[in-house]
Amino acid sequence: MESSDEAAIEKHRVHLRLVTLRDAAPATLHLLPCEVLASQSAPVGRFFTPAIRQSPDGLKVSFRGRSLRGEEVAVPPGLVGYVMENEEKLIGKQDFSGGLENDNQEEEPLPQDRFIGATASFSHFTLWGLEAIPGPDAKVRGALTWPSLAAAIHAQVPED
Amino acid sequence: VAAGMDGGDAVRARQLVFLLPEYLKDASKKMKRGLMFIKLVNPCSGEGAIYLFDVHLQQLFEIKVFKEKHHSWFINQSVESGGLLHFATPMDPLFLLLHYLVKADKEGKFQPLDQVVVDDVFPNCILLLKLPELEKLLHHVTEEKPEIDNKKYYKYSKEKTLKWLEKKVKQTVAALKTNNVNVSARVQSTAFFSGDQVSRDKEEDYIRYAHGLISDYIPKELSDDLSKYLKLPEPPASLPSPLSKKIKLSGEPVEAKEDYTKFNTKDLKTAKKNSKMTAAQKALAKVDKRGMKSIDTFFGAKNKKVGKI
Repeated sequence: MESSDEAAIEKHRVHLRLVTLRDAAPATLHLLPCEVLASQSAPVGRFFTPAIRQSPDGLKVSFRGRSLRGEEVAVPPGLVGYVMENEEKLIGKQDFSGGLENDNQEEEPLPQDRFIGATASFSHFTLWGLEAIPGPDAKVRGALTWPSLAAAIHAQVPED
Repeated sequence: VAAGMDGGDAVRARQLVFLLPEYLKDASKKMKRGLMFIKLVNPCSGEGAIYLFDVHLQQLFEIKVFKEKHHSWFINQSVESGGLLHFATPMDPLFLLLHYLVKADKEGKFQPLDQVVVDDVFPNCILLLKLPELEKLLHHVTEEKPEIDNKKYYKYSKEKTLKWLEKKVKQTVAALKTNNVNVSARVQSTAFFSGDQVSRDKEEDYIRYAHGLISDYIPKELSDDLSKYLKLPEPPASLPSPLSKKIKLSGEPVEAKEDYTKFNTKDLKTAKKNSKMTAAQKALAKVDKRGMKSIDTFFGAKNKKVGKI
């Protein structure tokens, strides 16, 4: 069923490497109440993790001299958390000009497969707030109720 | 992932934090390929959106992104800026098919589906034609004619679509109730004593809220038609204030009457802000003047730029 149309469409697709979903090792995730502008390696295990303390009002730590309070938040039932990374496999191309966010590559005549894979998995993460645990109205908690609402919106309707 | 313990300055690939349905992991045991991210049309806005498509299970998932200012992730021994959380949740493909059926209806004739679902901007839309039980789905929103060549011919039916959408609203209302979503912006003093929120929220509030959620998957025009079909009254802000009339009848003191009148007209926005609402609803009160609840309220900022995957 392969056709030239299929090849053209392929460029719009990012394949998820399924094998990586099975092999993903558990990861430790913290959601911080501040924006660190860089995305890079960081010695979390040297500075952050050893400083976490249990206290009557939740977990306690400090980051850049500010006091944080947090608690474990579970991934909603029926879902699994994954950390994913883009992999680039360029076919018939030597340069890296076709960046992932570059829409111009759709005009490239060469087929280009893109792949993404899971590097880690998680079933819970630690949610941190500045000086207090984020309350029940915190947006992230609202977002976590979304899957159960989405299930109802998108379920097939009953017949008459 | 070999991120060095002390490699504090090492640049690394962008990491995406995702929540995926558990059964995709099981499905991965049976196959190596077939799950892919594709760009398709957003049936409400007509712009591009990222979806996850399962070629083997023939299932469509939409991708939503939680995005709030001032957040970052620590992921093992790394930091990831932005604090984004991506959700993949099952999507009813009929919303997408409807986008094309409504568009084709301008030509006003019965057409085979492969002539309806055509898109130069989002060519992956042809994957929709491979979905199982497509005919069963389509009969909710189309009239059909069996024709020559074993090909079926379809035509968008507004009447059937509104009926179908009404059922969608009903099942969403049920989910709002079981999930205890506060659909009412009004808080009455009895709420503090009875503690029974479900009975306090009016059925109409649930329907309007659900209508708003569904409206994120259908064109604006259809959303307006659905509102009429559900006999939803105009949002309270544009109603003549019934409360002030009531007060006149009951002969309240003049001062109080003035206050209430104010509340019901120009100060409604401020009053809403002060009443007990979730952060999401507060954000919504600013954006949406029509009293509907948009899905975006669950995810912070509008997630137009999902295309970075």
